[in-house]
Amino acid sequence: MVLGNYKNCVSARAADPAILSASQDGGIVTQLFAFALEEGIIDGAVVAGPGDEPYKPEPVVATTVAELMEARGTRYTICPNVSMIKEATRSYGLDKVGVVGTPCQIQAVRKAQLYPMGMRSVGDKIALAIGIFCMENFPYQGLETMVEDLCNVKMESAVKMDIGKGKFSVYTARGAVSQIPLKMTHKFEQPGCHVCLDYVANLADVSTGSVGSPDGWSTVFTRTKKGETIWGGKAIEAGYFETKPIADVKPGLDLVTKLATDKITKNQKTLDERASFGVDKGLRNPYI
Amino acid sequence: MSKVVEISPTTRHEGHTKLTMQVDDNGVVTRGDWLSLTPVRGGIEKLAVGKSMHQAPKISSRVCGICPIAHTLAGTEAMEASIGCIIPDDAYLLRVILQCANRLHSHALHNILSLPDMYIPGTDTHINPFTPEEPVRSVALRIQKLREVGQTVGEIVGGEPIHPSNPPRVGGMYKNISPPRAQIKIYDLAKEALPLAQDHMDFMISVFKDWDARPMASVAGGKEVEKTEKFGFHDQGYMASDTLYGSSSLDLDQKWYPERWTEVRPWDWYQGELEVSLEDPDYPVGGTTPPVGTKVWPAMEACTGVPLYDGAPIETGPRARLAMFRNYDRKGAMGLQIARQMEYMDCLYSMIEAVEALDTNGKVVADEIPQGDGSLGWAANEAPRGTDVHLTKVLNGKVEWYSLLVPTTWNFPTVSRALEGAPWQLTEVIMRAYDPCVSCATHMMVVDDSKKVVAQKLFQ
Ligand SMILES: Cc1cc2nc3c(=O)[nH]c(=O)nc-3n(C[C@H](O)[C@H](O)[C@H](O)COP(=O)(O)OP(=O)(O)OC[C@H]3O[C@@H](n4cnc5c(N)ncnc54)[C@H](O)[C@@H]3O)c2cc1C
Ligand code: SF4
Repeated sequence: MVLGNYKNCVSARAADPAILSASQDGGIVTQLFAFALEEGIIDGAVVAGPGDEPYKPEPVVATTVAELMEARGTRYTICPNVSMIKEATRSYGLDKVGVVGTPCQIQAVRKAQLYPMGMRSVGDKIALAIGIFCMENFPYQGLETMVEDLCNVKMESAVKMDIGKGKFSVYTARGAVSQIPLKMTHKFEQPGCHVCLDYVANLADVSTGSVGSPDGWSTVFTRTKKGETIWGGKAIEAGYFETKPIADVKPGLDLVTKLATDKITKNQKTLDERASFGVDKGLRNPYI
Repeated sequence: MSKVVEISPTTRHEGHTKLTMQVDDNGVVTRGDWLSLTPVRGGIEKLAVGKSMHQAPKISSRVCGICPIAHTLAGTEAMEASIGCIIPDDAYLLRVILQCANRLHSHALHNILSLPDMYIPGTDTHINPFTPEEPVRSVALRIQKLREVGQTVGEIVGGEPIHPSNPPRVGGMYKNISPPRAQIKIYDLAKEALPLAQDHMDFMISVFKDWDARPMASVAGGKEVEKTEKFGFHDQGYMASDTLYGSSSLDLDQKWYPERWTEVRPWDWYQGELEVSLEDPDYPVGGTTPPVGTKVWPAMEACTGVPLYDGAPIETGPRARLAMFRNYDRKGAMGLQIARQMEYMDCLYSMIEAVEALDTNGKVVADEIPQGDGSLGWAANEAPRGTDVHLTKVLNGKVEWYSLLVPTTWNFPTVSRALEGAPWQLTEVIMRAYDPCVSCATHMMVVDDSKKVVAQKLFQ
């Protein structure tokens, strides 16, 4: 159950090389939204668009493929996408909203749909929720310190950042790669991530991440009926993605399962410890 | 011999009120009081003092969830009038769209409240809006559709149809709507509603005319009584600041005049102590105030002040607007109901005109927002129920003084006059014609206890 409910899991990448040129992994998020936009399945999507500072994203409502393209790539810092889902249905006038987010953000979307506090007529307008795998996130200052001080790269020069194989890596436009071991980044993690019990966006329609698939490819779970129809029934048929059975790729689901188990076990422990954090008193547990 | 009868509480309107009436041997009202029993809140006016000029209108929005747009707009524009801030054209157009959207939903909602008193034209069947049977079912669905259009447009432009969040802000609006989707959506919705509103207006007018023409009638299925001529007539004047939007002290051509406004306390206006001497357990549903002998005291119980214009009560609302600006002259309770229906089309045409004129790339916040030097500013918004005037003084961005004169407060004493000559069993029909909104009316009572004098003048 650490991988959540899902109907199908494959390794995949976008068919469009233009999308792949700057996507983080297999370009699943960008390609799927672009497809949904063209098909009228969504009329816009909340994505992490460019912000004022390098690698500091801001939530935007993208209604064109060009805007989706600008949001490609992982920014390892907080981008409050959920703050825009209501606005998307308001001044943007959307009826069918797409949204991408980390597991916690997808949880927020689902909660807003079921318990719409101050979320009047938003729930039924969420048309496609794509989740991205997430082990942890960093506040912007933390990311800046990791990149500029520990990796010795100017934020402005970075063209890609990546976490994988136990390392945090920064790539520059001039071809340099700078890496630090992940354990050096731990103290910069946002503390809220330490009680998070979801690795592979269990509540999304479709979730995707890099782990499990080779470089340039993504691991994709289709979870809901909606996700299944859009992905399997339509996008694949129309030739938008190349896919391989997940069983045929290395390292495959075993590694995803291992990492998900590690995350949940570790964070469940943190959560348990909160109960007796003080002397004769504890800290709040949002799950009970 | 005159008897006293009381309907408490009244129903099918917003808030909590009662009708205390002296009636003659035929049950015809000789003197009536319609008064608010809604408890006086903490008092928006007092609460707002010392708050920022941006926050105060958001607080006053919470006076009422049916016409929050009116209070938000009047509040914001009073602040702008005090500080002398002119908003950009596109911000104004967005506010006009909001105004139209809110009026559309509010009038449609009021239809649901009024219909149970009325009959399916040509029959003796009272209209039950909840029946699954035709022809009423289609009417109810049409009302829901019109409300949905109003509320959806409110959502797009206002961020939220109940208590607009995005706009307005002092100086304009927080955001323009994004081109072209939202603009097209508003346009489509308005176009979709247009033929519905036309049919609906025709239907509602025929229903009200049918009622007017009947010799006998009852309230929502109760006992039939003979109607009197001039049902709901009164001799009070009208007050309106515009057909659609409003006026403010920034206008060159101002349409509301603060120096004509005075306010008296309920003590000076309503009836003194009375004893209920007539009781009707069959009045639907649950009877009138029992038992005979119950003491009532309207002057003490009323929860609103009594605002006067030129020293007398006036009527405000749809008929006042049409009478003052469009030569409308139908009197009585049904005259007011019909005037309300006649506003439907203007809501939609004005909405379409404004959305067509809107530049979605246009600026919506004034370049400069002065902080205010304590000057008095006022803004009148033509709320669904009439002229909603907010007056304020802003100093250094903070509210120094704030006062709200809302439509139903103006109408309370006028309705009391309009009850005279009607059979008491039908007085709720008169009251409902005014579409009362009592939480609006009772947002607080402006009383200066130290002064026993009648009127409180605005300009000292
Ligand atoms: C903080 C974080 C931690 C992650 N951790 C893991 C992990 O441990 N294992 C793993 O396999 N994958 C992880 N990922 C996911 C991975 O990095 C890719 O985002 C994912 O594989 C999608 O790649 P893509 O090529 O399909 O998407 P692309 O086509 O490149 O699009 C990426 C999408 O993600 C959105 N996005 C980027 N940054 C953020 C953000 N901070 N918050 C919300 N949305 C954002 C963008 O708007 C864009 O739409 C993480 C992502 C983030 C943001
Ligand atoms: S670790 Fe959990 S809480 Fe932290 S960003 Fe990822 S999904 Fe959200």
